[in-house]
Formats: sequence, C-alpha cells, structure tokens
Amino acid sequence: MTAVRPETHDAKTFEALLQPVLRVAYGVALRLARNSSDAEDLVQEAALLAFRAFASFELGTNFKAWYMRILTNCYFAKYRRVKRGPEFVDLDDTPALYLMFQTAGAGLHTRGADPAGALLERMDSEQVAEAIAALPDEYRVVCALYFVDDLPYQDIAEIVGVPLGTVRSRLHRGRRMLQKALWHVAESHGIVTALTAAEN
Amino acid sequence: MTPDRYTCEEVLRRLDDFLDRELDGSEEKLVQEHIDTCANCLREYEFEKTVLQQVKAKVRRLSVPADLMRRIARAIEADSAGTDS
Repeated sequence: MTAVRPETHDAKTFEALLQPVLRVAYGVALRLARNSSDAEDLVQEAALLAFRAFASFELGTNFKAWYMRILTNCYFAKYRRVKRGPEFVDLDDTPALYLMFQTAGAGLHTRGADPAGALLERMDSEQVAEAIAALPDEYRVVCALYFVDDLPYQDIAEIVGVPLGTVRSRLHRGRRMLQKALWHVAESHGIVTALTAAEN
Repeated sequence: MTPDRYTCEEVLRRLDDFLDRELDGSEEKLVQEHIDTCANCLREYEFEKTVLQQVKAKVRRLSVPADLMRRIARAIEADSAGTDS
C-alpha cells in the first residue's frame, strides 16, 4: 500500500505555512523598508516569489528560514534605497557600553535604580524604530531578524546567506550602533533632559 | 588551555554572546562565575540585558494589517490563473 502524502505543493499548503510566519515577516519588513506601505508590498512580493519557487521547497524543513531568505533577497534587489535612513549621527566605531556611559555621564545612575529601563521606558516604539532606521543596511538586516524574532545566530546566517562569524560581528557592532542612535533619538525628543530634570 | 577564570575585560568581550546564549558550556560557566562575584560586570550585564529586552518588546509591538494574508492569497490566485492560462 502506498502512503498518501498529507501535504502537496499547492496554494493551500503554502498559505498554511505562511500564515504563522506573517507577523515576523511583516515586523522584519517594516524595519527594512521603514514604512508600512513598502513593508506590505515587500511581504506580498516575497510571498509571490516564494510561491512560484514553492516546488523547490522541501516540505517538513524550515519554511520560515526559507521564506525570510527570499524576503531579505527581495528587499536588497528591489526595495533598498540608495540613500540610507536618517543619517543624523556617525555610528561608526561606537564603543561598547555606549548607553551605559552616556546615562552615567548624564547623572542617571545616581539612585542606583535602573537607568536603562528608565530611559527606554520613556521611548515609544516609533522612537525605537527611528533609531533602528538609522543603521546601515547590512547591520539593520541582522538586527531586524534578531530583535523581531528570537532567532539563533545560525538561523540568521542561513537567512542572510553570510557566514556565522559575519552575523556575530554585524550583530554585535549593530547593537552598539543602535545604542548610539537610541541615545541620539532620546536626546532629540527631550527624553534625556526630562530624565535629568527628574533626577535633580 | 582554557583559563579557570575570566578577567573583566574577557567577560566584556563575551558579553553579547553570553546575553544571547551563544557561548559554549565552559565559556558560559566562566562568564557566569565572574558575574556572580564582580559587581561592576554584573551592573554592565544587567544594563545590557535591559536594553535588549526593552528594544525587543518595543520592536515586537506591531499590528499586522488585517487584510495582508487575504491580499497575498488573492495575488497567488491571480498568479496561478495567469500561469495556467
């Protein structure tokens, strides 16, 4: 007796696999494309490309990684802007523990409480998105995959198509850059001033 | 040879990997042992952990457009019809 395969490469199967990863896909697309309209288009276009290539996907393997790789490739091929995001600050060579030193320098460690929490709790999602948008593409991609989903470095490497060591260094450096961008956004929105005033 | 303890500098170099649970067992143990007994490194670890947690929480606060999956399904249907004809 021949076993009947429970799934085939049809539209219904594809959509059933896509539905659970849509939230992560849209979240990453939003960080890459920087606006909701382009993010929706990116997710949809990547879905169409993925569906056309669905016959080459081995059912039972990691659909999310496969689709996210198509999505990031699609971004680099079509949606990547020549101009970077708001380049308000030079993020190169940001030292380790940047936010810790900045918050200490601003006198926010005096009560020994939770200076990182105090700062970031005052920042809304749009302000954090503004900081992420400032990262150069190659860092923003790995940071988006890391922050939107709890992916291990190996999975990020497979999605982006670079070696594990490259993911590690881009992620670590990207996080440092992000700290500098977060501090700049917090300063420009008056959050640092408000926190400093509250401390005194 | 693996050292039997890490300095503050060695811990800082491994802090990102430690936070992401990307160190191997012996390295993770050495970082943990150092943090358990060094107030400065513990403070740095707690600070970095909070930053990551807060950024993740805010980045994940998003609502997927309600009709996105429906639009994708329609696009696939239209694409399949075009291919079949």
